[in-house]
Amino acid sequence: MHPPDDLEEYLRGDSALSRQYRRESAPAPPHALDRRVLKFSREAQGSRRTRAGAPYLAPLAFAASVLLSVALVLAIAFGPQTAKHVDDAPRLMHAVARADAPPLRLYSSDPKLVRTPSVWLGDIAALRRAGRNREADAEFRRFRSAYPDYRTAAPDFPP
Amino acid sequence: MLEAMESLDENARLMLRYRDGDADAFLALYARHKGPLYRYLLRQVRNAGVAADLFQEVWSRLVATRSRYEARAKFATYLFHIAHNCTIDFFRRDLRLGHTARPDDDDAQSAEPEVPEDQRPDGIAEFAEQQSALLAALSSLPQEQREAFLLHEETGLTIEEIARVTDVGIETAKSRLRYAIRKLKKTLHAALTPEQEPRRARRDLKATQLNAST
Repeated sequence: MHPPDDLEEYLRGDSALSRQYRRESAPAPPHALDRRVLKFSREAQGSRRTRAGAPYLAPLAFAASVLLSVALVLAIAFGPQTAKHVDDAPRLMHAVARADAPPLRLYSSDPKLVRTPSVWLGDIAALRRAGRNREADAEFRRFRSAYPDYRTAAPDFPP
Repeated sequence: MLEAMESLDENARLMLRYRDGDADAFLALYARHKGPLYRYLLRQVRNAGVAADLFQEVWSRLVATRSRYEARAKFATYLFHIAHNCTIDFFRRDLRLGHTARPDDDDAQSAEPEVPEDQRPDGIAEFAEQQSALLAALSSLPQEQREAFLLHEETGLTIEEIARVTDVGIETAKSRLRYAIRKLKKTLHAALTPEQEPRRARRDLKATQLNAST
C-alpha cells in the first residue's frame, strides 16, 4: 500500500496547510492604491467614451451611409437616361414654342425655313474662308433673293 | 464544480460587461479580486512598494486590453496570467539591473503588523509563531513553487489552470506544487514539535488552574 500523496491530499481541500494559510492575516491593498486604480479605470472609460462619441451616433451614421449608398445606386442605374429624357423634351418644345422667330425646319424647299439670316451668312463666310468662293457667291445670291433687304456690313458679303 | 462554473460565468460576464462599457462591472471585479491579487504579488516579490507598483500595472494592463477580452477561460486565469507576466518582467528587469528587490524585512511577513509577544494570549502567540514559520517557509521557496502554491491558495485554481497561467506543462505545474507543499508541511511540522512543548505545557497548566478555580 502506497503512502498517501501529499499533493492529492492537499488538492482535496481543507488540508492543515491550507487551513493554516487561511488563518494568516490577509493584507489588502492600501486605500490610496485602490483610489489610484479606480481613478485610472474611470479615466480610461471616459477617454473611450470621448473617442467613441455619443452612443446614438453609431446607428445614425450607419443609416446615413445606407441612405447615401442607395441614392448613389439609383443615380447610377437610372440617373443619366432619366436626365437625358427630361433634358431633351424642353429643348424641343422650346424651339417650337418660339412664336416670334420665323418657323425653322431642318428639311424644306424654302431656304428661309431652314436657316436664319445670320446662320446663313455664317455659312457663306465659312465657305469663303475655305476658299470656296464660287460656292460662297452662289450661296450669297440665294441669300439675297430670300432676304433682299437684309443689311450686311462685312466685306465677305458684297452688297 | 457547479459553484465554480457559476463563479466563472459571473466573473467572465462582469468582464464582458466592462469590455462593453459598463464601469460598475469593473468595480465589482476589482472588489472581488483585489485582495488575492495583492497578496499574490506581495508574497511573490516580498516588497510592499514593488507589490503596489505591480498591482497597478496589472490592473492598468487589464484596463488597456479590455476591448480584446474573450471569455475563453475562468476570469482568474486571465487576470493572474497578466499578474504572472508582470512579475516575471519585474524579476527579469531586477536581475538585469543587478539587484534584487530587498524584502521589506528579513522575512516574508514584513508588511503584516504583529501583536507584541507580551500582549498575546498563549493561543495567539502560538498561532503567530506558526504564522511566522509558514510565511518564512513560503518566502524561502523557489519562486516558481511559491507561485504555484499562492495561485492555488489565493484563487483556487486547479493544476491545469496554474499550468495555463504560468505557461508551463501540467506535469511541471503539478511537480512545483508538490514540492512546495512538501517543504511547507515539513517546515510547519518542525515548527510545531519540540519548541512547542513548554508552551503547550503552560497552556495546559492554565486550563487546569482555571478548572480548579471554577
